[in-house]
Amino acid sequence: MPFSLVDFLQALAAGILVGSAYALMCIGLGIIFGSMRVINFAQGDFLMLGMYAAFYLTTGWGILAFLGPYAGPIAAAFLAGPAVFAVGWLAHRLLVSRVTGFGVAHSEGAGAYGQILVTLGLSLILQNGGLIVFGSTPTGIRTPLSRSSWEIGEVLLNQARCVSFLVAVLCAAAVYAFLGHTRLGKGLRAAADNSQAAIYMGIDVDRAHRLAWSLGVGITAVAGGLVAASQSFQPYVGFDFVIVMYAGVVLGGLGSILGAFWGGLLIGIVQQMSTLVFPYQLQNTAIFVVFLLIIFLRPQGLFGRLSERT
Amino acid sequence: MMTTTTTRRSFNRGLAFAAGALALPGVVRAADKTVKLAMIAPLSGPWARQGQLLKMGADLAMEDINGAGGIKSLGGAKIEIIYADAGDTTEKAKNAAQRLVSDHPDLVGGFGAWLSSFTLAVTEVTERASIPWLTLSYSDLITDRGFKFVFQTSPTAAQQAAETLPTALKLAESTTGKRPKTIGLIMDNTAAPVAFAKPLKAGGLDKLGLKLTVDQIFTPPLSDATPLVEKVRSARPDFLLLLTSAMPDCKLVLEKLDEFKLAHGKIPLVSNGAPFGSPELLKTVGADLLDGLLFSVANWPMKGQEAFIDRFKKKTGEPFLTQDGLCGYGHPAILAAGLEAAGAADKVKVAEAIRKMNLTTGPAAACFPGPIKFDDKGRRIDVPIIFAQWQKGVPVTVFPTDLALAKPVWPSLS
Amino acid sequence: MRTVAETRRQRWAIAAFAAAVLLLTLVLNSAYYQLVLTQVLLWAMLSLAWNILCGYGGYFSFGHAVFWGLGAYTVALGMIDLDLPPWLTIPLGGLVGAAAGAVIGFPTFRLRGHYFALAMLAYPLAILYVFQWLGYQELTLPMKRDAAVLFMQFGDPRVYVVLALGLLVVALLVSLKVENSRFGMALTAIKQNEPAAEAAGIDTWRWKMLALMLSGALAGMAGGLYAVVLLVLTPDTVFGMLVSAQALILALFGGIGSLWGPVIGAFVLVPLAEGLNAELGNVLPGIQGVVYGVAIIAIILLAPEGVYWRVLDRLQRRRPAPPPLPTAAAAPVAALPRRAAAGGSDLLSLRGIGISFGGLRALDGIDLAVPEGGLYGIIGPNGAGKTTLFNAINGFLAPDSGSVEFAGRNITGLRPNRICRLGIGRTFQVVRAFPRMSLLENVMVGALVGAPDDAAARRMALAALDRVGLAGRAAAAAGGLTTRELRLMELARALAPQPRLVLLDETLAGLGHDDLDGILAVIRQVRDDGTTVLIIEHTMQAMVHLVDHFTVLDHGRLIAAGKPDEVVRDPRVVEAYLGKRWLDHVALSAQ
Repeated sequence: MPFSLVDFLQALAAGILVGSAYALMCIGLGIIFGSMRVINFAQGDFLMLGMYAAFYLTTGWGILAFLGPYAGPIAAAFLAGPAVFAVGWLAHRLLVSRVTGFGVAHSEGAGAYGQILVTLGLSLILQNGGLIVFGSTPTGIRTPLSRSSWEIGEVLLNQARCVSFLVAVLCAAAVYAFLGHTRLGKGLRAAADNSQAAIYMGIDVDRAHRLAWSLGVGITAVAGGLVAASQSFQPYVGFDFVIVMYAGVVLGGLGSILGAFWGGLLIGIVQQMSTLVFPYQLQNTAIFVVFLLIIFLRPQGLFGRLSERT
Repeated sequence: MMTTTTTRRSFNRGLAFAAGALALPGVVRAADKTVKLAMIAPLSGPWARQGQLLKMGADLAMEDINGAGGIKSLGGAKIEIIYADAGDTTEKAKNAAQRLVSDHPDLVGGFGAWLSSFTLAVTEVTERASIPWLTLSYSDLITDRGFKFVFQTSPTAAQQAAETLPTALKLAESTTGKRPKTIGLIMDNTAAPVAFAKPLKAGGLDKLGLKLTVDQIFTPPLSDATPLVEKVRSARPDFLLLLTSAMPDCKLVLEKLDEFKLAHGKIPLVSNGAPFGSPELLKTVGADLLDGLLFSVANWPMKGQEAFIDRFKKKTGEPFLTQDGLCGYGHPAILAAGLEAAGAADKVKVAEAIRKMNLTTGPAAACFPGPIKFDDKGRRIDVPIIFAQWQKGVPVTVFPTDLALAKPVWPSLS
Repeated sequence: MRTVAETRRQRWAIAAFAAAVLLLTLVLNSAYYQLVLTQVLLWAMLSLAWNILCGYGGYFSFGHAVFWGLGAYTVALGMIDLDLPPWLTIPLGGLVGAAAGAVIGFPTFRLRGHYFALAMLAYPLAILYVFQWLGYQELTLPMKRDAAVLFMQFGDPRVYVVLALGLLVVALLVSLKVENSRFGMALTAIKQNEPAAEAAGIDTWRWKMLALMLSGALAGMAGGLYAVVLLVLTPDTVFGMLVSAQALILALFGGIGSLWGPVIGAFVLVPLAEGLNAELGNVLPGIQGVVYGVAIIAIILLAPEGVYWRVLDRLQRRRPAPPPLPTAAAAPVAALPRRAAAGGSDLLSLRGIGISFGGLRALDGIDLAVPEGGLYGIIGPNGAGKTTLFNAINGFLAPDSGSVEFAGRNITGLRPNRICRLGIGRTFQVVRAFPRMSLLENVMVGALVGAPDDAAARRMALAALDRVGLAGRAAAAAGGLTTRELRLMELARALAPQPRLVLLDETLAGLGHDDLDGILAVIRQVRDDGTTVLIIEHTMQAMVHLVDHFTVLDHGRLIAAGKPDEVVRDPRVVEAYLGKRWLDHVALSAQ
């Protein structure tokens, strides 16, 4: 069925806007995956925590009510980051560090298995703990942003998603600058590239990993806060986003923040624009097809490096 | 004296009879005996909210039935509802059912499990255990298996489809004078919407003189409603049929319609299913956006239930009563009625009693539109489809007129 | 690899296990317990299937639900649409699983590690949406009251336990066979170091495909019986992430890469989860998930490789170390025939080899001639292209230009395992050994390619160990070896198939003075025994005293070749290693 130009542009716009939130999520995951080589199954659940953090800051407990229904959700999304950063820090200190990091990297097999089960266990605890604490009723942030749009010609740009786009780009730029130009950030990258050499250089790899982990989940939580203004959610919502995040990170390339950003954005575009030619029901299958194609044709992703030690 | 001897003889015989009756197995004797019913519903996992609503209704029912003296034909035996969590997978639901059946061989009936796939799995167990089972699920597959112990209190999705559109069209005609000619359809691909849409697409729409100008099916959960509503914007159907079964998806579509300036009556909305009347939808979307949304459901608070509605709201703190709470109350009521009619805490007899039932009065009948009467498949007969509409932030029943709590409004096409 | 006696013992263990389960099912009275037991057995089988590829082979898959689901739908659709009995469609589901394994393996095995695991994650989820789109949201297996046995619909739940047990025993026997065969050895080698396995002559692609297909077949059959038991299928139930995660969790918990690990995992975790649901499900919804999560975290911290290995390690620590294998008991090491250098023709010759990576010219116009029977060195600073050159000789990289000839035969572009069979062995820089396997077993991997049977492989491995001087340590667990011993083990593995030419990749790197002398002696002996040696290194010092002939690489080009003392004084070499400044020093000292 042929589609009109407006349909095309509208889908593209939707893809970019939705994709921006995915992009930010992917950056979070990318930092963890890139620095620690850990497949974090709980990433979607930290996203969920970010959503609830933003919710309670605005509609729930009204802490940011004084900012109004427009600025409130934006500020809440930002604040969700540090909140979940703290949770992540704790989780790493108590749990994750026991199965990842330099000390474990040598006992190759044991560490890898531990990572998987610990993050799976963490995911279960967060989801079900969330049910106990937050309850099962689906909830969302009330803001007029989610149902208003700016118009460019005939194309409508949802305001909440546009705001999310701007915040995502800002955050991504900030992360990029942090990793590239601060001492802390460079230490993180060194630890990621070669933890052994990093230790010899005086970098506390364990701390670097903890920072990477907490930063990663914190950034994903900000993305969650942004999404919370558009969608409603319940404690098991993490599931729905895990695949998108991994697809985006792999698409963009392991170890590249820029890659994670573009990867997530591209996934959003594929997801929304696939509806122009394929049945709507296969939206997410389209994501997987693209994911698999990239993995086969260019496994290092768009921006990743080819090297992967044997 | 002749009479005395006869009297003594008949008295003795009567005594022997009574003794014999008391000795019969399965007969509840003392007034402090309990009869066991089961409820299986998701209490944890993504659908926990629905299970908890069902439980709220069931708790209230248990309170009322026991408070009113229990099952009189069983000497005032009290009912006890045993709850089991269906969890988040079909396997867990089936295990819950099998566990209940094995741990409580004296179960006489049960209800649940909200999600149609869970209900299917649970009833595979209960059917083989000959336990009468009630469900509010709309999927017609549930009663298409040739089972004898399953009773579907909701009209099937196909049945609901047959009435939903004609009623909506009639309302439109009587309000605006014009009969809608085009229809848009946005639905997800879960069992109930698919069953609802099937007969419509297979000629039902043609019969009603409706042309399908938007036909979009998505797999839940929805990520963004833009491409869907974009189609609506370009096709501009006379009204939109929304069949989304999860509240988060309802919110996305409704808000996107608002964003595209198609809400507030621009394109009248007709839906099907209880999620469209949930309090959480009101909380996240707001009353003004929902105003005028017309939806058909299997069951909704009706005229005559006002006192009960108030009680429910006070007891549970819920802003209003919905299908889940109502059925959670109604199902134990039907089982209790079945027990009364059967006169024995015998599951086969109770099933038999339910099959023969034709209740138009009493607590069970008061919970559902139409008489409580089942056909041989276990489906309700002569059930009017209920329509509710959001008015001033409350979804109130508007059809059928004798059960309505408010008058229906067709949002004017502007 | 087990001895015949050990294998027999394991078979008895499987029989005992089956008997115990049958006894259990007779004793358990409740239909509920029978149902849970059936599920335990089915999940154990899925986890065993997963273990074959992922535990033995090291290729982690996060998507085994794809096979389980395809098996389940084969049975369901077979019954609903075609009226086929599950007795037929369950094996058919196995075939579908195997076919899916083949189709998936073709493209996906080009990936490794995390990429492979994530790609596998995508398959079941992609298919999930397709099945929903096709209209299979909910399928119920119809009740067949009048042909119940034909359609596997039994009133007594015990029958399902027996059926599931039957399938599980098949899976156990298959796993046992895999463990004890060349297949298992190959998988172990692949897990340990895939390029090394390939270079040792193992056709890694073939074995990986076989493992995936076998894994898919077993998972498919288990999924088929699952459909029969559950009676209701939704795409999410059988293709969902929870299924793939379950396969993983059970194996990791119970003991990955072991025969009994998945079974232990299933027998502990499945009833635990179900029990938590039962007791806590309606008390405080969600608490059962929290407890389960805590349980698996706790166990993995206490027993990182699973319960089985932890227990085994504890038990083995108490047992005395096994007696060292008699060294001379093996057939006396026949002195390898000294192959006289065929006049004029070289054993290995490279002509004009060139390789580019994108814009980088890694090798440019390399000519090399290695006559038989000598010790030749290739040296160059880091980044010169030494390992790339080896990869080109060995078959890991196909050169853009030029040719490689070995013993008069053009081997350019052949696969590494083929080249190994033709007589070239190779060591790798990163040496990984299996800590629990003995030194001998680690070396046997190398011998498999040339040996007609396992006994011969054992002999050849022993002989190789003897050549490097480690025969006395043959029975030691490889986990406790020193760096020097690891290097020698690596060398022994390369020598086990008795190659004519052996490529040594930075064997001397990072060794201390004493260790160095020892290894140099071994390498010389290897050459003296008749094997041509080509060694790459970047430190001049050791090499100068070792080799007969030197070739120096820099930035992908040959800059010098000749005898050691000539080459060290070559100004181009000095410049490459030390920079221009030292050129003058050399020039001065040469005068």
